[in-house]
Amino acid sequence: MALLEIKNLTFAYPDAEKNALENVSFSVKQGDFVVICGKSGCGKTTLLRHLKTVLTPFGKRTGDILFEGKRLEEVSMRTQSSQIGYVLQNPDNQLVTDKVWHELAFGVENMGLDQQAIRLRVAEMASFFGIQNWFHRDVETLSGGQKQLLNLASIMTMQPKLLVLDEPTSQLDPIAASDFLATIRKINLELGITIIMIEHRLEEVFPMADKVLVLENGKKIFYDKPRMVGKALSDNDLFLAMPSSVQIYNATGQIGTCPLTVCEGRNWLEANYSPAEISFSKAEKPKKADVAVQAKELWFRYEQDGKDVLKGLSMQVHRGELYCLLGGNGTGKSTTLSLLCGIRKPYRGKITLNGQDIRKISDKELYHHFLGVLPQNPQTLFVGNTVQEDLDEMLTDCSAQEKKQRKAIMEQVIDDTEIRHLLHMHPYDLSGGEQQRAALAKVLLLEPQILLLDEPTKGLDGFYKYKLAEIFKKLTERGITILMVSHDIEFCACYGDTCAMFFDGSIVTACNARDFFAGNCFYTTVANRMARNVFPGAITVKDVIDACKKNKQQA
Amino acid sequence: MKNDVFTGYHPAVNFLYFALVIGCSMFVMHPIFLAFSCIGGFSYYLYLKKWKALKTALWMMLPVFLISAIINPLFTHKGVTILAYFKNGNALTLESVLYGLGAGVMLVSVLNWFSCYQAVMTSDKFIYLFGKVIPAMSLILSMVFRFVPKFQKQIEKVSNAQKCIGRDVTNGNAFHRARHGIKILSVMTTWALENSVDTADSMRSRGYGLRGRSNFSIYRFDTRDKILTGIIASMGLIVITGIATKTIRFLYYPMIVINAVTPWTMIVYLSYGALCLLPVVINVIEDIKWHYWKSKI
Repeated sequence: MALLEIKNLTFAYPDAEKNALENVSFSVKQGDFVVICGKSGCGKTTLLRHLKTVLTPFGKRTGDILFEGKRLEEVSMRTQSSQIGYVLQNPDNQLVTDKVWHELAFGVENMGLDQQAIRLRVAEMASFFGIQNWFHRDVETLSGGQKQLLNLASIMTMQPKLLVLDEPTSQLDPIAASDFLATIRKINLELGITIIMIEHRLEEVFPMADKVLVLENGKKIFYDKPRMVGKALSDNDLFLAMPSSVQIYNATGQIGTCPLTVCEGRNWLEANYSPAEISFSKAEKPKKADVAVQAKELWFRYEQDGKDVLKGLSMQVHRGELYCLLGGNGTGKSTTLSLLCGIRKPYRGKITLNGQDIRKISDKELYHHFLGVLPQNPQTLFVGNTVQEDLDEMLTDCSAQEKKQRKAIMEQVIDDTEIRHLLHMHPYDLSGGEQQRAALAKVLLLEPQILLLDEPTKGLDGFYKYKLAEIFKKLTERGITILMVSHDIEFCACYGDTCAMFFDGSIVTACNARDFFAGNCFYTTVANRMARNVFPGAITVKDVIDACKKNKQQA
Repeated sequence: MKNDVFTGYHPAVNFLYFALVIGCSMFVMHPIFLAFSCIGGFSYYLYLKKWKALKTALWMMLPVFLISAIINPLFTHKGVTILAYFKNGNALTLESVLYGLGAGVMLVSVLNWFSCYQAVMTSDKFIYLFGKVIPAMSLILSMVFRFVPKFQKQIEKVSNAQKCIGRDVTNGNAFHRARHGIKILSVMTTWALENSVDTADSMRSRGYGLRGRSNFSIYRFDTRDKILTGIIASMGLIVITGIATKTIRFLYYPMIVINAVTPWTMIVYLSYGALCLLPVVINVIEDIKWHYWKSKI
């Protein structure tokens, strides 16, 4: 018997013209690992929310959801609470209490278990997840990854049969995300718990999944094994979101079986193609433009007797380039940004922007027509009730004549960032990618010459990343300098001009993107790791596909 | 903070102790009591905070003491032993000087004890103790303690983000600043409401609101807790009896009157002295034990 069975589920939000879900049916066996993917706004989250009665949105609904053969509405709240666990996107908002141990116990407390039983459950889960070392800490002191792990653990104490996760890693950095996904896999394999998860890090979850469900406009278009889905999606928009190996496999004519991992992909390439030296050239920009941002031996620490966060950091960013600062978590990348935008000051060293010493530029000059900063969380920029109101807010301090001029600029910015259809919405109601663009629009209204971005691709799916890259390209062509801090290797490889590796308080190496990634063995793109033996120098999926095609012609 | 042994006892023991000691320090102005309380409070604070305690002593305790000791004789002219006259004809009396000194010591020791209380009785201990009285309250308190730092962090982030587009409370003239400040506060309200939706979902999906919620705590009342409670309670009983029966008695005005020294008063003094020094004594005994065990290895 299937653990969960969804039969002809159709759902429409009140007052909506279109159905959010249309005739979706599928069944999940005990112990399955199901990944749901699709573009944002395709109804993934709406579908997941139907799997638990208390979270089900209001609206018109037909069709049935059966949990262990019983209609879900007839399953008691108590059973649902403990047997269906639900992890949401934002790690911070799900935590209810102030202490780790209290959070772990929260669910079991609600179940009304006695002291001794709770003590055992908490101890079990803390040990399974390796939480015992931070068991007594305040939740506020935990990192994002730890918080999300705690959310998961506190659900596991209730001993669920089904675990539902809604993009649990979208707010985490790559390493924390991998750890989290590995834990999910461990729960699936070792405890036999059924998992249904929305995830856009398909590179990692595709090989783990038993089944992949693909949604498009509220309809199920595929529900099959990952290999089959990978093969079938070759002519779909979602293709961009697939793992690199699947993309290469599809674009080169689907020879043999579809590879899912780097290892499979590498063997597949070696079996089908012969090694070749192919030179990849990227349209070089006219180099050696003047320097827009320069830092000379910056030293910084947060407290007098604290550790140095930056140790003699020097960097040079040229006008009109997209400069990517890559590196691990907590190495001081974001701190560097806060120094460059003048929020914090180095205790040694000098920063010059467009040849001017940052200390000699007044706040007013610095933040008007000069420097634009997009923080990691775009939400922090919004203060209005609609996007339009938020953009208008940027014009409040100017004269009538200036306003007219600025209106024209605003029209252009709205077109550039493609947010015209969002203007009447509340900024908090937008999806991650839309928020990012609206925030960028707000910053661009200041007509900055230098843009500093803190992890602009965090939480975005492949489609939105592509859109963002297009915008960046437009801006750099106009001579705007963009400096971004990122974890996103794939994005930087595809679109960056210069990449720099940040480690231990300074920049270890900085060179153009191609040389940077071709030279690294581990810290490089998936496509490069796959193709390294066959086509050295190929760093993006596109490179590998091109190389394969050339290779075939020669053969 | 150093690994303090007294902190490791059950929260009820900690609370009982502080209630007793702080109560006595506040309401008994007997010089011997004051001396014990001051020594006990300061030495425990020193034990907890090390050299940081000296800094607070110098910058906070000393001024408080001096101000109180100087101000009282300037404004109070009660008392029979006149030492001198001020220019305006008011008397400077020995009793008012002594009372000023006594009040200074009292304030300093109460400050010390409260600082210790804060270090020992963390929020979760407080929640645990008072959550038992009103179960729903313990969760609410815990959620408040979770929310406040989260809110503070977010407001800092928003403020920084706004600063970089020239719209923080530090940008522009007074009028602009006020407007920016109000905007930030209003968006923080939106933020708090928006995020509380997630929190509510997370609570409901974990079964909050089902009948028969229980309360979990990580504390256990062990044998050592029972023993220490016995010791504290019996010493406290002796001290309170001593005060209630007026065996311990000290008057500042109109003239200094002190109780006679009898074996019974000696017992009360000693009990109070032991009570004040209890946490430090427990710690020292433990340190010696460790030292002994280490030398055996």
